[in-house]
Amino acid sequence: MLNWQSSPLTGIGFLGMVIGGVLILGLILGIVTYLIYFERKIIGWMQLRIGPNRVGPFGLMQSIADVLKLLIKEDIVPENADRSLFLLAPIIAFVPSFMVLALIPFTATHVFTSNTQVGLLLYLALSSITILGIVLGGWASNNKYSLLGGMRSAAQMVSYEIPLGMSVIGVVLLTGSLNLNTIVVAQSRHIWYIIPQIVGFIIFMIAGLAELNRTPFDLPEAESELVAGYFTEYSGFRFAFFMLTEYVYVFALCALATTLFLGGWSGPFLPSWIWFAIKTSACIFFIFWVRATMPRIRGDQLMGFAWKVLIPVALANLIVTAGVALL
Amino acid sequence: MILGIPITGETVAFFLLSLLIISSGVMVMSLTKVMHTALALGGVFLGVAGIFILLGADFVGVVQILIYAGAITILMVFALMLTQKGDDTGYPGPGKRSFFTLLGVAAFCALLLFVIRGTSWPVATTKVDPFPQPSIVMIAQSLFHTYTVPFELVTLILTAALVGAVVIARKEE
Repeated sequence: MLNWQSSPLTGIGFLGMVIGGVLILGLILGIVTYLIYFERKIIGWMQLRIGPNRVGPFGLMQSIADVLKLLIKEDIVPENADRSLFLLAPIIAFVPSFMVLALIPFTATHVFTSNTQVGLLLYLALSSITILGIVLGGWASNNKYSLLGGMRSAAQMVSYEIPLGMSVIGVVLLTGSLNLNTIVVAQSRHIWYIIPQIVGFIIFMIAGLAELNRTPFDLPEAESELVAGYFTEYSGFRFAFFMLTEYVYVFALCALATTLFLGGWSGPFLPSWIWFAIKTSACIFFIFWVRATMPRIRGDQLMGFAWKVLIPVALANLIVTAGVALL
Repeated sequence: MILGIPITGETVAFFLLSLLIISSGVMVMSLTKVMHTALALGGVFLGVAGIFILLGADFVGVVQILIYAGAITILMVFALMLTQKGDDTGYPGPGKRSFFTLLGVAAFCALLLFVIRGTSWPVATTKVDPFPQPSIVMIAQSLFHTYTVPFELVTLILTAALVGAVVIARKEE
C-alpha cells in the first residue's frame, strides 16, 4: 500500500494516495494555524508586546478562533465583480500550493512523497500557476486597489521567479538530478549544499521572500497604501483561502530550502522527520524575523534589485559552480 | 473492459484529461468575455501537459506547465488587465449557419473515424522500452552533445528576436 511510488497503479495504491492526501491536508492545516500564532507571538515579542494571550492557555486557541470566525462570516460578492472568476480565483490560487507539498521529502522513508525525476522543476511550474489565481482575483474584484495589487503581484512574482530558478541550478549541477529525493541523499553522503552554494542560498531566500509577497517585498498587499491589495474585496472563507495559500507557501518554500540547501531530513541521532521539522522551523523563523525588522521597499527598488543585482550574481554563481563541477 | 479498452489507471487518466482539454477548448470558443477565454485556454494547456506526462515525457509536460499554463496565460491576463473592460455581451450568436456547421463537423468526424478504424496500425512484436534512460537525461544528451551547434544557433536567433522586440517597443515612445 505504501510502495505506490515504484509500482503500477492499483486500487489499493490509489486508496493509499487518497489517505496520504487527506493526512497531508490535515497536517498542513494544523501547521498553518500555528504558523500564524507563532508569527504574531514572535513579532509581538520583538516589538516588546505580549502578542495573542486571551483565547486558551497562552493564547494557543487564537488562530483556531480566527479561522472559525472567517468560516461563519458571510461570503460577500461585490455587485459589479465578475462573479464566476471572483468565486474561482481563490481555488486556482490554493490548489497548486497544496500540490507542491507532494514533492517535498518530509522523511527518510518517503511516505507520501512523489519520486518524480523532475520534482524541482515541477515545484517551480506549479507555484507559477498561483500567480494566475492572484491576478484573476484582483481583476475580478473590479476595484482599483485590487487591480493594482494584482498587477504589482504579477510583475513582482514573474521577475523574481528568474533569480529563484537560477539560484537552485547550482544545486542541480552539483547533484546531477532534479529529483528532490536524490538531492537529499547526495547531501547526506557528502556535505550540505549551503556550504558550497552559500551565494545560491542567499539568493534563494531573498527571491523566495519576494515570491511569497512578504515583507520587505509585500508591495502587492501593502496594507497602508493598497488596503491589502488583491484580496481587498474578499471576505469569509474565500479570504481564508488566500491567507491559507500564503502560509502554505511559507511552509513549502522553507521545506524546499531545507531540502535543497540544509540537507533535508538527514542528520545524526534523531529521527529524520524531527530533523526536517527543526531545519524548516529555523527557515520559517528567519522569515518572521525579517518581517519584524525590515521596512517595505519601493517599487522601482524592487525591480532594479531583481534585474541588476540578483540575476547577475546568480549567473556568476552558476558559472563558478559549473566550472568547479567540471574540474 | 469497456468497448475493447482495458480499464487501468492510465486510461482513466487519459479520459479525464481528454475531457478537460475538450471542455476547456469548447469554453475558449463559446465564452464571450475575453478574460474567461484566457483562463479556459490555461485549462487546455494544463490538460495537454497531463497528456505529455502520461506518455512518459514528463520533462516536456512540466515545461508545458511552466511556460504555457504559467507564463503565457499570465502574460495574456496581464495584457487584458491593461485594456478597457468593454461590454462584449452583444454577440448575436451563430443563427441559421449553425445547422450546416453541425452537418459539416459530423461528416468530418465520421470521415476521421472511418479512416482511423480502417487503417491497420503496426503492433509491436517485441517489447521495447521507449526510454532506456530517464527522458531528461536523453534530452540533455541530444541538446548538448549531438546537436550543440544548432542549439546554439537557435539561442542566438532568439536573443536577436528579443533585442529586436525591445527596439521596436522603444520606438513608439
